[in-house]
Amino acid sequence: MTDPVTVAVLQNRLSAIAEEMGEAMLRTTYSQILNSSRDFSIGLVDSHGRLVAQADHIPVHVGALPWAVLALMEVFPTQSPGDVFLLNDPYHGGSHLPDLTAFVPSFAEGRLAFWSVVRAHQSDIGGATMGGYNPGATEIWQEGLRVPPIRLTEGGMIRDDLVAMLAANVRHPQDFRGDLAAMIGAARLGERRLAQTLAEFGAKVLQESVEAILDAAEQHARAIVVTWMDGAYEGEAVLDDDGHGIENVTIRARVTVSGSDVTVDLTQSDPQVQGFVNSSYANMQSAVAMAFAFLLDPDCARNAGAFRPLHVVAREGTVVWAREGAPVTMCTSHCSNEIVEAIVVALSGACPDRAMGGWGRRFRVAFEGRDGRTGRRFIWHMFHARPGGGASSAGDGWPTAGEWHSVGGLKFGSVEVAEARFPLFFEQHEFRLGSGGAGRHCGGDGGEMWLRIETDGPATANTAGDGVRHGARGMLGGQDGAPHCYVLHRPDGVVRELRTKEVGIAVPSGSRLHVLSGGGGGWGRP
Amino acid sequence: MGQAVTISIGIDVGGTFTDVVAVDSDGAVTTAKAATTPADQSEGVIAGLRLLGERLGLELGALLAATERIVHGTTVATNALLEGKGARVGLLTTEGHRDVIEMREGLKPERYDLRMAPPPPLVPRARRLPVRERLRADGSVETPLDPTSLAAAVDALAEQNVDAVAVCFLHAWCNPAHERAAAAAVQARLQGAFVTASSDVLPQIKEFERFSTTVANAAVGPVVAGYLRRLQDRLLQAGFGGPLFIMLSHGGVASVDEAVRLAAGTALSGPAGGVAAAVALARQGTSQDLITFDMGGTSTDIALVQAGQPVLTGGRGVGEARIALPSLDIVTLGAGGGSIAHVSRAGLLQVGPQSAGADPGPACYGAGGRSATVTDANLILGYLDPASFLGGRRRLDTMAAEAALTALGRPLGLDAVATAAGIHRLVNARMVDGLRVATVRRGVDPRRFALLSFGGAAGLHIASVAAALRVARVLVPLQAAVLSAWGMLNTDLRVEMMRSLAQGGAIDPQALRIVCDVMEQEGRDRLRWFQGDIQVRRSADMRYGEQVSEIAVPFDDLDMGAPGFAAALAEAFHRRHEALFTYALRDRAPVLVNARVSVAGVLPALATRAAPLERPGAVLHRRVHLESWQSVPVHPFAGLVPEQVVTGPAIVESDTTTVLFRPGDRGRFDARGWLELEVAGAAMA
Repeated sequence: MTDPVTVAVLQNRLSAIAEEMGEAMLRTTYSQILNSSRDFSIGLVDSHGRLVAQADHIPVHVGALPWAVLALMEVFPTQSPGDVFLLNDPYHGGSHLPDLTAFVPSFAEGRLAFWSVVRAHQSDIGGATMGGYNPGATEIWQEGLRVPPIRLTEGGMIRDDLVAMLAANVRHPQDFRGDLAAMIGAARLGERRLAQTLAEFGAKVLQESVEAILDAAEQHARAIVVTWMDGAYEGEAVLDDDGHGIENVTIRARVTVSGSDVTVDLTQSDPQVQGFVNSSYANMQSAVAMAFAFLLDPDCARNAGAFRPLHVVAREGTVVWAREGAPVTMCTSHCSNEIVEAIVVALSGACPDRAMGGWGRRFRVAFEGRDGRTGRRFIWHMFHARPGGGASSAGDGWPTAGEWHSVGGLKFGSVEVAEARFPLFFEQHEFRLGSGGAGRHCGGDGGEMWLRIETDGPATANTAGDGVRHGARGMLGGQDGAPHCYVLHRPDGVVRELRTKEVGIAVPSGSRLHVLSGGGGGWGRP
Repeated sequence: MGQAVTISIGIDVGGTFTDVVAVDSDGAVTTAKAATTPADQSEGVIAGLRLLGERLGLELGALLAATERIVHGTTVATNALLEGKGARVGLLTTEGHRDVIEMREGLKPERYDLRMAPPPPLVPRARRLPVRERLRADGSVETPLDPTSLAAAVDALAEQNVDAVAVCFLHAWCNPAHERAAAAAVQARLQGAFVTASSDVLPQIKEFERFSTTVANAAVGPVVAGYLRRLQDRLLQAGFGGPLFIMLSHGGVASVDEAVRLAAGTALSGPAGGVAAAVALARQGTSQDLITFDMGGTSTDIALVQAGQPVLTGGRGVGEARIALPSLDIVTLGAGGGSIAHVSRAGLLQVGPQSAGADPGPACYGAGGRSATVTDANLILGYLDPASFLGGRRRLDTMAAEAALTALGRPLGLDAVATAAGIHRLVNARMVDGLRVATVRRGVDPRRFALLSFGGAAGLHIASVAAALRVARVLVPLQAAVLSAWGMLNTDLRVEMMRSLAQGGAIDPQALRIVCDVMEQEGRDRLRWFQGDIQVRRSADMRYGEQVSEIAVPFDDLDMGAPGFAAALAEAFHRRHEALFTYALRDRAPVLVNARVSVAGVLPALATRAAPLERPGAVLHRRVHLESWQSVPVHPFAGLVPEQVVTGPAIVESDTTTVLFRPGDRGRFDARGWLELEVAGAAMA
């Protein structure tokens, strides 16, 4: 049995390694979505596929990493030093196609000990529409390049032919290669640090310490859950639509608290739909783990041990767990956010002081066009005018801090930089006052933006998101946040509201987009 | 004192004490300590100077008449920000963009803490007033500055009785005309108000950083101005005719006027002294690469000096304020001597982040503290002498420490000594992990650095920390207070400037040279009054394509006029990137984003004098716990003579510092009164 001090030392060490890998990613990646918006995650997973340490980046990724490792090991039961693996297939351990995951194994005394895992959202992954989100898709083959678990190396060297094949299938091969180099660099950095740690402490001490670290997190989580009121609780959350005519898609969570165990049953959720709001299995597991982590204490370690009290029951063929072949690209935001919200609503009966008001929904717009100043074509993903955060027992919600799946972890870029790099003009970018739900504590306000498109020739836009009908949920008597409303004003005087799932919207130069983004949910009766 | 002797004085105002240090032209050092006077720090400064005079046998007037310069580190700006006691600020900003500082770019700290209310912004929305005007990204005017709207906004600020006004317009970094006109209008209407414009404070792209910094500058400007003017008056009345220099966050010093203009740039004025000392050491040839390790009661500050230059960063938070001025890249780890050890809800031993502070302090202070701290652990392990802590001014209560440690260890099945050893080891490990992440984040390998250890608690941990990081060399000064003030007296007048290159793009030597020349001229103009030598340093912030983090690449050794300049600069960047991140992309042309110029007015170096030769002090023995209990020699610091060597296991102690030598560690006392430690086990592969 390893002494408790060594266990504590190693817990800090493993977290520091994950943090160091994250720093390397932030500093070296190419895409705006990674280095500015930080849409990536880092995990250290052991040889049994258990998450041992992670860096806090995008919550919706992290509960999914162990599933990716398990899927990988099923295809590659043996590995060698120097190997690098990749996958993104939602039906083989992935969440959705844009999230590409790189794995590097570490060995102790010749046997697999750990995986250092880097998951990063690619700015493009091929498919029918630029930027990875295709609301028109009714099958995964229309969504982009599918990468089942592959070994990217031969004898420890990266296979340039495979990288070329991947790069040939995405729209920005240069950026893709830059980001992939950064991901592999960060995963190898983790492997290097793990090797040093193994050399310093020995495999046996490290293995015993991992068990103790996981046990400790379990004990911590159980000590919290046991204070929740036993019982069976129900909660639901509703998506506007799937973009193909199916409306009010409902996620139903029946949550049972018994002693220090929590069982989340999602089997009563609506059947899977035609459009891309279906969830993959790993993403559903991750969303449930994310909701559970939000309701624990912030200082509770987020590893496999902390999730041992949590049991998930779901049924294939529902919107939370689609059958192979269904489109799923939107799922890391929707229906992840609705899974979280349904669980939090249910558990607001068991632990009211912990349950927080709903966070806003994602409604993204990507513009494609030509910049007359440089003569170059561009793609711009809108991260501005973020929705508001939910209120809680501790106070009001954070304004413009985002959605459940990111909770203040995605940064919107500078207006000045956006205007310098893209033919865009931000007439207004401010709080949308009063959009947060009223309550004893009010939800955070969303944003209001007037954006003028100054492309050389017409631009086109795609949308992907949800929440123009349903706002972020108010909790315990607090009111819902205002829903989104995006309106396009064309220079010819035509004005029309944008739907959340549209492809190929014609945007003549000089058009103005008026964004009113949703507020967060209130908490407690006003 | 002889006829020709002149004095330089360093003043470091800390939370509890104001340290005053005089160095005369022979290099003799005299120190004095007075209580800090929080309401008006200048009172404590004058009291300290009076005490210093007494030690030198001089009246205050005579002391100041013989004083050639005073260098001052102040915490006035930091305290104002941390305690929310800044000025009442109004903001004039571009219509339609009123909430930039409160939107915080969509970020919230603590990802998994969803029950956490947002802190109030430095300027509430009601005092953020829109002005109709708009520039485009290239600096051209989209909407001219509207005088009616400006007048209405200024009227509204007048009604709200603001003491300071920040003027922050979009794209003003490349065209300051609107900001200047608005600032002039404010100045005319609100006489006596502190007015500051973003294009003057931080002329660089990215509005959140620029606006936040300008707002912070407005919040501390009146406070810093008031304090420094009072101090200047007091010194003048007392007979001081020389220059008063203020330590800035970037590690250089500036005149009072400049320190007031960029008041937010004094936020790190206090801790900058220690880093300045490291730079001075590098200059004297001790080591070109140093990491400062300043372990105090609640936290440990770390900073890097590379190739003799301090590493600067473009932004840091102070309380709720974000200040993006170039400043020393000081990383704070949340563990120090007063950090409380506890068993977490998960059942694991943890140290910090809570601290017992000075009151009640560690259990062994006997002032009511019940929690076991790092200091309690060090006491029980025999590393600290209960009778001679702080020169015997505070007797430590061993029984109380043991009781606290016993209670803490019980659920872990550990006795007091094992618990203490665990705490000591754990805090060392946290320092090591923190240092490693901090150095990697800054792209350096700590092994080739020397550690400069100061702060009350550092000496007991530094050898273990150094060994784990494989750092072979550690320097320990006799007295930290002297170190900081000595550092201040050995730094230069410095103006740090940075300009974004319009779009950021391929290396254009012509454009780079023009921008650098303009900045150099500005720096020289700001130091026009200065008589001595001027030194100029240039560097470029570069990255690959769409990366967002730049790497600073100094290019003083490259000839900007040479035909191969662009290629040489690109290669310098590739090499840095490879060293930092395991790879370089040599088929890509790097992008040059910012040019930086540092203009320094070189102040005369201070003489150093050999420490007075004393008889070797009496060596005592004490039982300490190093794996097992053993009796080790204890050397009084003051009793060491130059070139004396101490071999571990041993302890060297002074009033303010105790240094633990593990078996095999070897220390040499040098002529300046410093201990230089060779760390055992650091060289292994």
